[in-house]
Amino acid sequence: MPSSTSSSDSEPVYSRRVPEISWPRVAVVAAFLAAAGVGIWEAAWRIGEHYEASYRNSDGQFAEVRRRVDRREPNATVFIGSSRTQFDIDLDVWQELTGVHGIQLALEGSNPLPILTDLADDEDFAGLLVVGITPPLVLMPGIGSRADALERYYNETPSEWASNKLSYPLERTFAFYNPDAALFRLLERQPWWPEREGLPFEAPEVRKIENMRRDRQSDLWNRVEDDPELNQVVTSTWKAILETLPPPPPEEEARAAFETLLANVARDVGKIRERGGEVVFIRPPSSDWFRDFENRATPRERVWEPIVGAAGAVGVHFEDYPELREAHTPEWSHISSRDKAQWTRALVGILKARMAESGVHRPEIGS
Amino acid sequence: MLFNSLTFVAFFVIVLALHNAPLPWKVKKTNLLLASYIFYAAWNPPFVLLLWLSTIVDWWVAKGIYATEEKSRRRALVGVSIAVNLGLLGYFKYGGFLLENWQALMTAIGVTWTAPGWNIVLPVGISFYTFQTMAYSLDVYLRRAKPADSFLDFALFVTFFPQLVAGPIVRPTQLIPQFQEPVRANRNQLLWGLGLMTLGLFEKMVIADGALAPAADAVFGADGAVPFADAWLGTLAFAGQIFSDFAGYSTVAIGAALCLGFSLPDNFRFPYAALGFSDFWRRWHISLSTWLRDYLYIPLGGNRKGWHRTQANLMITMLLGGLWHGAAWTFVVWGGLHGLYLGIERFIRERWGDAKVASTAGFRLFLALLTYFLVNLTWVFFRSKDFPQALSMTRAMLGFGAPDGELVLSTFLVTTVIAVTVGMLIVHWFMRNRRLEEVVARSPWWLTGLVWAGMMFLIVITQGTGNAFIYFQF
Repeated sequence: MPSSTSSSDSEPVYSRRVPEISWPRVAVVAAFLAAAGVGIWEAAWRIGEHYEASYRNSDGQFAEVRRRVDRREPNATVFIGSSRTQFDIDLDVWQELTGVHGIQLALEGSNPLPILTDLADDEDFAGLLVVGITPPLVLMPGIGSRADALERYYNETPSEWASNKLSYPLERTFAFYNPDAALFRLLERQPWWPEREGLPFEAPEVRKIENMRRDRQSDLWNRVEDDPELNQVVTSTWKAILETLPPPPPEEEARAAFETLLANVARDVGKIRERGGEVVFIRPPSSDWFRDFENRATPRERVWEPIVGAAGAVGVHFEDYPELREAHTPEWSHISSRDKAQWTRALVGILKARMAESGVHRPEIGS
Repeated sequence: MLFNSLTFVAFFVIVLALHNAPLPWKVKKTNLLLASYIFYAAWNPPFVLLLWLSTIVDWWVAKGIYATEEKSRRRALVGVSIAVNLGLLGYFKYGGFLLENWQALMTAIGVTWTAPGWNIVLPVGISFYTFQTMAYSLDVYLRRAKPADSFLDFALFVTFFPQLVAGPIVRPTQLIPQFQEPVRANRNQLLWGLGLMTLGLFEKMVIADGALAPAADAVFGADGAVPFADAWLGTLAFAGQIFSDFAGYSTVAIGAALCLGFSLPDNFRFPYAALGFSDFWRRWHISLSTWLRDYLYIPLGGNRKGWHRTQANLMITMLLGGLWHGAAWTFVVWGGLHGLYLGIERFIRERWGDAKVASTAGFRLFLALLTYFLVNLTWVFFRSKDFPQALSMTRAMLGFGAPDGELVLSTFLVTTVIAVTVGMLIVHWFMRNRRLEEVVARSPWWLTGLVWAGMMFLIVITQGTGNAFIYFQF
């Protein structure tokens, strides 16, 4: 036989060559330089860019929080929506006023209605669902850019679960461990790259605007409020994104899609109510150019009112309450972290009153 | 679990600690086997059953073959191994593809038949470990080796986690003997192994995922036709991405095994410096190309049965090699193009291989660039989602594309692709006749330390996207 699976036979056992150098010396130098480089990099982000360590808003974090609905808190208060619902509601204040620490499932830049459908189909959920509506996003087909988060909840592998757990200590330690500070994102946004003639305009990536907590509630980063240059970067990004949205579908098609949307909302809310749950809708504030755009493209009477009407649910629109209107939205779309506690207090009070008026009594909110 | 995940870092630290603990060799091997099952189950625990099936069948089949001289019995037993392993592959990987094509065939001859839904999840690495276990039974059948003495050693050979899901596809004669005597990496092996793991992760996370994937994804994900420049840049980006991704995986696998004291063979040798296609296949996915050579091309007759049979054998081997990569006709065409290139090369070599010009430096450089150019044309079929896209891309790359193709790459992506591609070609050319071990041994120690630190730093600040390795889907 030319070869064998037995080492006792004549052929030598295959062995890789190792370069003959002073490996300990090389390893010490490499480890020291790499650690020094990472230390300097961290310092540069903290001192130069005023970054703080923050959770990464990962799909794994979403999946982990979503699992609370199934296992620990079937009668929880759950928040879904887009980034406004995530930034504007202070879960600690909500808990102080209601005794319940909510489950934050809002996803930035996303349409919450598929998540509503998902929760409606989840037999374990029979609590209070707060749906935040951001008019342009609610008309998107599907969840949008964060669709992977829900997919992750359903199909998370043991390895992904473990990686997520191991990532948390790094996320709360290193400021640079943030997608906004990743090397190639940093390189790509540098101003030195000339425009390529003929390339269609594409909205820039949204910069870091938040600090996320372990329970997925986000605070608008104070620097977005305090640094006029960063504030301008963020507002111009919103403008670019909204101005490059794909054109709406033809009138007939849009109408049919909206009718389907309303029917789905009614069906989903009905399913949750049948199990003893309840759904309320909120419209968090926006301002300036963003609000004008929303009012123009998705007027309240054509989007908000029909959705709340189809659900037959309590709906709280910020425009109807001075105490909700007054919150400061530094970059037009999210409430300042300094105002969110007060805004949440006002929202809870209004929701309690509105639900009581409507004869809806929920232990989760004390109405 | 993925090499580029925090779970793997924690897993590997535990495995390394256990392997270096003062425990009997049999306990250490059992630890490695259990760790390998955990490594695999971290994706989808029930699929471990497939590994067990493949392990048990080939263990008994090889023993049975070895125990008998009866030709028909030996043939039947090796048939069981082939049927079980190819059956697993066929069911999980090609079931949907076969049904789709059967439906198309029926429709073509006027029979209306709708294939049932086929939503079977592909078990990761199935193409690799089925080939590895089949090689074991085939080696015993072909009297190239005798069966392993220990079931534990054989099970570990099938399951050894560094190379379980994406190779290198190791031969039983390379790995099983290494499990027989106690081994532990010495200090130099451990540190060189860690260095190789760093290099592999750098290739995967920084080059493949960070620098090149965005351009390849943008071009191959475009809705319509793209112009000449973007088609080329997207394809060059993919060429670099797939090399860095797969060679990166292999390098981490080799490094991880070495940290434990085991030696895995090379899987890549700077393939973009290849002079022709037989040279390319001696440098690209070496463990698969040698597997196909030894278990398909040579049994088919290789080059021993005349010119026409040789050409046919080459083509069959490459077509099946293409199909091994994925259940789609685009992969078959990819393999077919390589078969065609190899056939043409053989034809030219037989007639003009001794020409003086063939050994000049200028001609060799020209040949390397021509090979790279033609390899890139094949990557279009490998990466495209369907034939219309592959043809549209090929037309654009040959200058016959739609004049109104839309640009998709920003200046940043254009610059990145060009810089990385040129850098990669220079490195491959420089390393063409060298081994990494030699180059490291001859470099000043501080330079090696600096390069290692640079790679670690870049891995950390790139942060990684957690993308799976491309070859996991095969």
